[in-house]
Amino acid sequence: MIEPQPVTDDFCVFDDTDEQRAFTRPVHEGGRELAESVLVVQGMFCAACADTVESALERRPGVALAQVQAATRRLTLRWDPGLTKLSDLARAVSVAGYRLLPLAEALSLNRRRAETRRALWRLFVAGFCMMQVMMYAWPAYVAAPGDIPPDIDQLLRWASWVISLPVVFFASGPFFASAWADLRQGRIGMDTPVSLGILVTFAVSSAATFDPTGPWGSEVWFDSLTMFVFFLLGGRYLELKARDRTAGALDELMSRLPAQAERRTADGSWATVTLRRLVVGDVVRVQAGQAFAGDGELLSESASVDEALLTGESEPLARRRGDAVIAGSHNLAGPVEVRLTRLGTDTRFAQIVALMERAAAEKPRLAQLADRIAAPFLVLVVLAAAAAMLWWWPRDSHQALAVAVAVLIVTCPCALSLATPAAMLASAGALARRGVLVRRLQAFEDLAAVDTVVFDKTGTLTQDHLHLRTVRCRPGVTAEEARRLAAELAAVSHHPVSRALVEPARSAPEGATLAEVAGQGVAAHWPDGRVRRLGSARFVGLADEAWPAGGPPPEAPMAHLSDEQGWVASFVLDEVLRPDARLAIARLQALGVKTHLLTGDRVAAARRVALLTGVDSLRAQASPEDKLAEVLALQAQGRCVAMVGDGLNDGPVLARAQASFALGHGVPLAQARSDFVVQASRLGDVVDTLQLARATMRTVRQNLAWAAAYNAVCVPLALIGWMPPWLAGLGMAASSLFVIANALRLSRGATPVAPMAQQKDLPWTLSTS
Amino acid sequence: MDALYLLIPLSVLIVFGVIGVFWWALHSGQFDHIEREGERILKGD
Repeated sequence: MIEPQPVTDDFCVFDDTDEQRAFTRPVHEGGRELAESVLVVQGMFCAACADTVESALERRPGVALAQVQAATRRLTLRWDPGLTKLSDLARAVSVAGYRLLPLAEALSLNRRRAETRRALWRLFVAGFCMMQVMMYAWPAYVAAPGDIPPDIDQLLRWASWVISLPVVFFASGPFFASAWADLRQGRIGMDTPVSLGILVTFAVSSAATFDPTGPWGSEVWFDSLTMFVFFLLGGRYLELKARDRTAGALDELMSRLPAQAERRTADGSWATVTLRRLVVGDVVRVQAGQAFAGDGELLSESASVDEALLTGESEPLARRRGDAVIAGSHNLAGPVEVRLTRLGTDTRFAQIVALMERAAAEKPRLAQLADRIAAPFLVLVVLAAAAAMLWWWPRDSHQALAVAVAVLIVTCPCALSLATPAAMLASAGALARRGVLVRRLQAFEDLAAVDTVVFDKTGTLTQDHLHLRTVRCRPGVTAEEARRLAAELAAVSHHPVSRALVEPARSAPEGATLAEVAGQGVAAHWPDGRVRRLGSARFVGLADEAWPAGGPPPEAPMAHLSDEQGWVASFVLDEVLRPDARLAIARLQALGVKTHLLTGDRVAAARRVALLTGVDSLRAQASPEDKLAEVLALQAQGRCVAMVGDGLNDGPVLARAQASFALGHGVPLAQARSDFVVQASRLGDVVDTLQLARATMRTVRQNLAWAAAYNAVCVPLALIGWMPPWLAGLGMAASSLFVIANALRLSRGATPVAPMAQQKDLPWTLSTS
Repeated sequence: MDALYLLIPLSVLIVFGVIGVFWWALHSGQFDHIEREGERILKGD
């Protein structure tokens, strides 16, 4: 879907105070009242562009700070509202060659930044204290017994205790909070043995420090404790950063200029206002290529609209005065006037979005693998530690505690906690490098279980614009000449057929007046009586459904060209399959996955695409509600469904399917609600992601199996007292490292992928930079 | 070895000092955008 450019690029919308509140906040600096805005810079393609934007802004009066982050294309701008206007600054940037947009969700940036800072703070405290505690513990490891004077030994332990305090009472906070929450719900989660291990280890070590002759023994394990906490926090921090990156990319996607509309004022002139200010009953003027701001009644004589919103097909529909138009559909031919009847949440657009939200909320959840395996295991571990302690206590109470602690430490909840996130993060990183954004890490698990993939047709399996297939001309006219003549007329029209015939740098012929009749064609009249027409058969003067070139008329969109002498040429247009569509379907079928085509288009067109690509089944002429019902029916059969789509009409299905892919050129709202965003719109990436998801789950199972085997060997050893705590700590570290190393294999994209033919003519998105 | 009676507690104090410095660095925004220094190379002077 081509994003229409705003007709009035006069930036005044930046100054609207209501809109500004979404991305600007007041700050105090040096006694002045400044405003700080967060915006996105479009059009940057390298880091040096950041410099250009910054210097363009810094030169303007009233700008206190302009900082562009090249990696995220985010601009932090501190400016003085008394000295300059935001629209002037935006104009300065556009003069430099870039475009500014307000960042969507700008205010949540602060929240995310605070969260990341807290996580990094905890990580540093744990890491730095861990290093110091290890230094204090070192003498005890290398010295022969009796080498260290007892009071120095005591001093070292005391120092270790003090330095472990921040780790236990501050850095480990998240584990305790999560374990407490789990406990209140009556379940044992991953963090319960972690918290238990930390608390017991710390309690026993503290007792050993302050009362070495007491019942709690004289072993201290501050080094194991701090290292343990550091590893776990490290894993969580990496997960948070990965999530930040994806959230930032998706926010950028949703950033757009606050939508504007031209409203008729009381004195009959037209004023540009933001959508927020429209009310029911307003009369708005919608230019060609713009979207309708609300549901409304057509006041102009006629209009040609594109309701891909509902059907997914860009087939222009004719509307007469008095007919209804829907919010979000595009006006194709010439400016029209509309009286608004419904706005905001009442519009059809909003109804589809609401359908999406409801579908997402009821999404079937697959029980998480790690929870299923780990939960009973953890209960066993805690019971084993308690049992060990009870058994050993009457025999040797010192040993009892050592054994219990060794059991809790060696079972390494580390490996269990890291098994799943490590693998998923590695895969998410590998996909990000390929241009596939992962919005939800658990989607890997859902995707690995998928056995049916549902495809949308237009824009997903096919490219979303028409292509010229054949040209038939009358004798004496060459094909190139016919195309040139047609392109001159097509330049003024937004009709999908015209867009296919348009050639770059081709403008209207000189001396002619052009007129477009909505849905039928474009005519050019010269003062000397010459005429040229491009459009439907009837428009150019042929009999309805005529096919002048002889033979049966092809079943495809057509346009004809005629001049004052009669028929000149006919153009047959075609939907073109994506070059990788057939291969992608074949690969999916080879993997044992069923494929299904679900579209709002006519049966004939859908059947043609189905035959060409080889999908297993097909459903055509489906509205967004029909599509959702179809997927619900599939799920009711027990199938695990993945959906690949690009439009808003796919939205409810994308939200409801167990796994969903949105293509990069599609509607931003669909992308923001899908599990995976394939930015380059390559279907091969969908198959690769599926294979990678299966490999990821294999790795997760391997990791969990390793954790189980390791525990099966080490826990009995600890129980019978053969595992000194230092060995337990070492075993835990080695186990964690193994799990991480195994997960890192995935970051290379470990699945061998058949080399695919390079697609040179990728339909790069036209709406974002 | 007597020096250890001074050095060990002193080192504990220094550890807390370092943690405090990091707190200052973190909350003054120095870790918010780590790639910025790398990008600085690409800017003209």
